[in-house]
Amino acid sequence: MHLLIALKAFFLVLFNGRLSSQVNDVLVHRSEPAGLPTAVPSQSDETPTVSSFAEKTLPAKGSSGHKPAVAKPVKPARSEALTLLAALQREGRLLDFLKEPLTDYSDAQIGAVARDLHRDCGKLVERMFNVQPLLTEAEGAAIEVPVGFDAARYRLVGNVGATPPLKGALIHHGWQATVCELPVWNGSDAAAKVVAPAEVEVK
Amino acid sequence: MSQYVIGIDLGTTNSVLAYAPLAEETPQVQILPIPQLVAAGTVESLSALPSFLYLGTAAEAESKSLDLPWSANRDFAIGTLARRQSAEMPDRTVGGAKSWLAHSRVDRHQAILPGNAPDDVQKISPVTASRRYLEHLVAAWDSAMPDAPLAEQVVVLTVPASFDASARELTREAALAAGLPVGLILLEEPQAAVYAWLDETGDRWRKMLRPNDTLLVCDVGGGTTDLTLVGVAEENGELVLRRLAVGNHLLVGGDNMDLTLAHFVSQQFAEQGVQLDPWQSVSLWHSCRAAKEALLAEGGEATHRITIAGRSSRLIGGSKSIEIARQQAADLLLDGFFPQCALTDRPARRRASGFQEIGLPFEADTGITRHLAAFLQAHGTHGAPVRPTHLLFNGGVFKAAGLQNRLLELVGNWFAPTETGSAREKPVALPGLHDLDHAVARGAAAYGLAKQRGGLRIRGGTARSYYVGIETAGLAIPGAPRPLRALCVAPIGMEEGTEADVPSGEIGLVVGEPAQFRFFSSSTRKQDSIGDLVPHWTEEEISETDSLETTLPADDTLADDYVPVKFHARLTELGVFELWCNSTKNDQRWKLEFSVREDTE
Repeated sequence: MHLLIALKAFFLVLFNGRLSSQVNDVLVHRSEPAGLPTAVPSQSDETPTVSSFAEKTLPAKGSSGHKPAVAKPVKPARSEALTLLAALQREGRLLDFLKEPLTDYSDAQIGAVARDLHRDCGKLVERMFNVQPLLTEAEGAAIEVPVGFDAARYRLVGNVGATPPLKGALIHHGWQATVCELPVWNGSDAAAKVVAPAEVEVK
Repeated sequence: MSQYVIGIDLGTTNSVLAYAPLAEETPQVQILPIPQLVAAGTVESLSALPSFLYLGTAAEAESKSLDLPWSANRDFAIGTLARRQSAEMPDRTVGGAKSWLAHSRVDRHQAILPGNAPDDVQKISPVTASRRYLEHLVAAWDSAMPDAPLAEQVVVLTVPASFDASARELTREAALAAGLPVGLILLEEPQAAVYAWLDETGDRWRKMLRPNDTLLVCDVGGGTTDLTLVGVAEENGELVLRRLAVGNHLLVGGDNMDLTLAHFVSQQFAEQGVQLDPWQSVSLWHSCRAAKEALLAEGGEATHRITIAGRSSRLIGGSKSIEIARQQAADLLLDGFFPQCALTDRPARRRASGFQEIGLPFEADTGITRHLAAFLQAHGTHGAPVRPTHLLFNGGVFKAAGLQNRLLELVGNWFAPTETGSAREKPVALPGLHDLDHAVARGAAAYGLAKQRGGLRIRGGTARSYYVGIETAGLAIPGAPRPLRALCVAPIGMEEGTEADVPSGEIGLVVGEPAQFRFFSSSTRKQDSIGDLVPHWTEEEISETDSLETTLPADDTLADDYVPVKFHARLTELGVFELWCNSTKNDQRWKLEFSVREDTE
């Protein structure tokens, strides 16, 4: 099993520039002398770009010296969830779509709008979270669940009481964010709950 | 002590910053995420900074909605927000500042942008706009890397190959004002694309190219098209690269294509009785870019539906859509911008009229292929055009694979093996350059590394020859100006780090008065060497740029009213062209500067 994963990893790293730099990062972090202050744990599995994680958790000095660090950690003036919702509305009109009753429209009308929404919101999610399958095996393939697995990574159904290591078929490969780069909002407190401003054309 | 090399692509529509640490054994070039306003009060870090500047209202400045992490009380915005504003409020938004830099018919220091700004807007000059984009990049870097200020790093800034000496000097001026280091290196964009390709392929490029190969770099940006030829030769068993020629500054690019498609689509909407407002026009523009890529992809869709959402909160109810067929898009874009043409075809000439509106000199002929044909013909020898063996595509436009294929097909037809001709293979596309949006910045950083560590460099020297206008002495004819001749002060291919006296007669400079010289350049006259006097030329061959001037101080050491001088040309290691007047009587010398008026802001 280890050999298979190692081979798979080898080819993935060879042909995927992004992954290879991630792997390199993991290796670099591992090889640090134990005496140095350790990097923030979440850092090792993110791509080396500025993220809002980095803003809240300054990387320890000496670790990965060439990564951008943001000088002043800014405490967001409103929930990041609202900032994300505002971005989805701004770039993909998601809120307009969800708030509109569908009963009046044909599937073709909805479909036409959904295509653009899919493209624009999809791009945004890709940019901010770069979501990748959690497992690289094909769905339907036989896989082995490691001993002492993390219940947040694997959700088991069926004969879950069997003796480990557990074997089964992969139903859904799962998703995970590889980055988390949300916009930072620094507007006034009064506007903290505004998701989209009212638009007025001045005559 | 520099810790990084930084490559900056100051683009017409997008700017990108790439960097690599100098200390590492195998440094990886990375892209710096640039924090920028994406909406009022909302900052996001993105890999590119759109080169747009929005001049805000007093209310926006007071509500602090244009503030950045590193700067408070701002009354302008740069980047994504400014680009969004450009459609709805064009008279408050500056775009295309870079194209203005190369436009020598206007004073680039004068506050002329945005063109139709209302009275409450403080206009700015093209140089100031460029400076602000660079200041934004500097601030983004400095706040990300507080221990390694940008001013102390090795910085490479790219310029279009077609920029002449004065446009380069203005770029440099904006860069130094923005806080870039004095040791700033200027690099031509198509060369940067080649460095990006070399960096991407590693050592494998030595197997892909052979001596006597010729690379044609087609760099089609948002607003400009840049053509460059790079030759491969063998020296002491090693392959070396040499830049052979660059094309003229062509003001046509990917944005023109998207707008053409958008114009076509909005007419279709108009036929359905739907009029689009400016906001919808922007969203149409973006949809058309996506449509272009989808329809011109290899094995792309036969039809593509373009939907314009309603302006109000009723998204579905207010939306209208139409379908465009692959053939329609191909007719519009391929035939409009990459038309089939013969190698002997030439671009249509601009109609000269007595009255010209002040504005950018957009190309009269948008057929890039005709410009390419003229370019290959102009740089051939013995009347035969240059025959490229490889094509390297750069610029986001080429994400639409159909455009790459059209160029390849056309160049292939131009140089098809004939029965009488040689049986050489057709030109092929070089594999690689997948990161079309960031390749120039990446290549600039890779070049900085090569320069620091002694890696492979493209040689070439100046892409243009430079001339000073000299009025010929002779019988004066009343009412007619004296005939003008062009004295070549620098030939094409003058190498960086060299200087030379210009052989000529003595020229008298009057003390205490500005002495002004008309200044010309050519990208095609390879036959001229330093000191040659050119009696006649056409506008296509030699074009006039900003004049040069110097003022000799009224000095006691100067006995006469005028000083006899000769010209001395110098190209610095950093690629800056300088022209000096050396006294023929003593060691005194004066540098000629491009005529610039005071900043009127």
